[in-house]
Amino acid sequence: MGLATRIRVISVPSMPSVVEGLNLKIEGTQKIAAPRERVFAALTNAAVLQKCIPGCEQMEKTGENQYDAKLTAGVGPIKGVFTATISLADITAPSHYKLVVEGKGQPGFVKGTGELNLAEDGENTSIQYVGEINVGGLLASVGQRMIQGAAGMMAGRFFSALEQEAKTYSKVS
Amino acid sequence: MIPANFDYIAAKSLDEALSLLAKHKDDAKLLAGGHSLLPAMKLRLAQPKVLIDLGKIKDLAYIKDEGGQIRIGAMTTHFQIETSDVLRRACPLFPETAVNLGDMQVRNKGTIGGSVAHADPAADWPAAVIAVSAEIVAVGPNGERVIKADNFFVDMLTTALQPGEIIKEIRFAAPKGRVGQSYMKVRHPASGFAVVGVAVTVALDGTGKCQSAGVGVTGVAPKPYRAPAVESELKGKALDGTTLPAAAALVTYDVNANSDLFATADYRKHLAQVYTRRALETAASRAK
Repeated sequence: MGLATRIRVISVPSMPSVVEGLNLKIEGTQKIAAPRERVFAALTNAAVLQKCIPGCEQMEKTGENQYDAKLTAGVGPIKGVFTATISLADITAPSHYKLVVEGKGQPGFVKGTGELNLAEDGENTSIQYVGEINVGGLLASVGQRMIQGAAGMMAGRFFSALEQEAKTYSKVS
Repeated sequence: MIPANFDYIAAKSLDEALSLLAKHKDDAKLLAGGHSLLPAMKLRLAQPKVLIDLGKIKDLAYIKDEGGQIRIGAMTTHFQIETSDVLRRACPLFPETAVNLGDMQVRNKGTIGGSVAHADPAADWPAAVIAVSAEIVAVGPNGERVIKADNFFVDMLTTALQPGEIIKEIRFAAPKGRVGQSYMKVRHPASGFAVVGVAVTVALDGTGKCQSAGVGVTGVAPKPYRAPAVESELKGKALDGTTLPAAAALVTYDVNANSDLFATADYRKHLAQVYTRRALETAASRAK
């Protein structure tokens, strides 16, 4: 995985209900071995995001920084297909933006908001992020004990894919 | 509670299972005891198109002691381990883990290979498998491969197995000398899974000091882990009322603990320390 992955998942234990779902908060810092401008450009590029968001099979532009997506998200044998909207907001290049993913599918719904702050760290970039995730439906009630771990894994996969993409990004742009 | 449509194929041999897996790839799931996969399928959280049943392959269920090398076939059920005279004599940690696992129906059908391959973060076997430094023997299109237990569990529900590989056997050297073992768990009252599970094996030298120790922990973190800080704290010392609590307190060192409805991260860490101490005390008393 990344150079210095440290993902902390802070869950707020509460009884999940089908309507309101389960709330999780994840936060962490990820160091990526690429300059900040390049990381930011990668992070706001739809093609790169599609490769980095775990299980993102297609992503279609529907408006300025708005996308419809199909996600096959899951861990191990547990998988669900979600139709999702992905949007980017509060874009302040090259230091900050917000990623919002809302997905719905047979196993339930997932809403996630991630605030990402990018800082220069010598030749590298340090991304500090805070995410709030709301999971509901079957996924939350049956998978309750694993949701937290799954959220951490997804964040980890996102950033390790991003690191690969950011390293090669200047070549594709 | 009715699964999506799937095809069912009962493989008659490991070779047949391997070629079926190579043919159907990601569409297929291997069916061992089915106690994790089938509930997930009934909830439609897993929807494999093809189930390859390993249950008809008879030569995958065995327990052998070959000159101190213990070999357990992947399709050996928890019940067979629980009641194995070979294991009760050579490595009682395994029967003790089995007897604490699930309920009778699960133990009668569920298998050690299936449990290890599924890698549920609260499954019991991973703790024992890590404690005895077992090796997982996998077969794939390119032949056999041996994976150390410490490297096998990669993350939650994720192992070092490659697509197309099947676990054939779990093997380890039977512990020698004045050995004491114990498995202690906080059982989730509904599921039977380990909220915290600690497997311990210790060996004493001629003077009664700890020669070697193995500590495997499940349920606490997103993946099962070895507690090397506990193991090295025990080594060379008398396993007394000073050493054991001091060592047990190190079990959650540098561990990012799970938090869920049943137990917060802090509570889980506390439980892990208490149950490690108890498992160490029990193991030490059995070693004398």
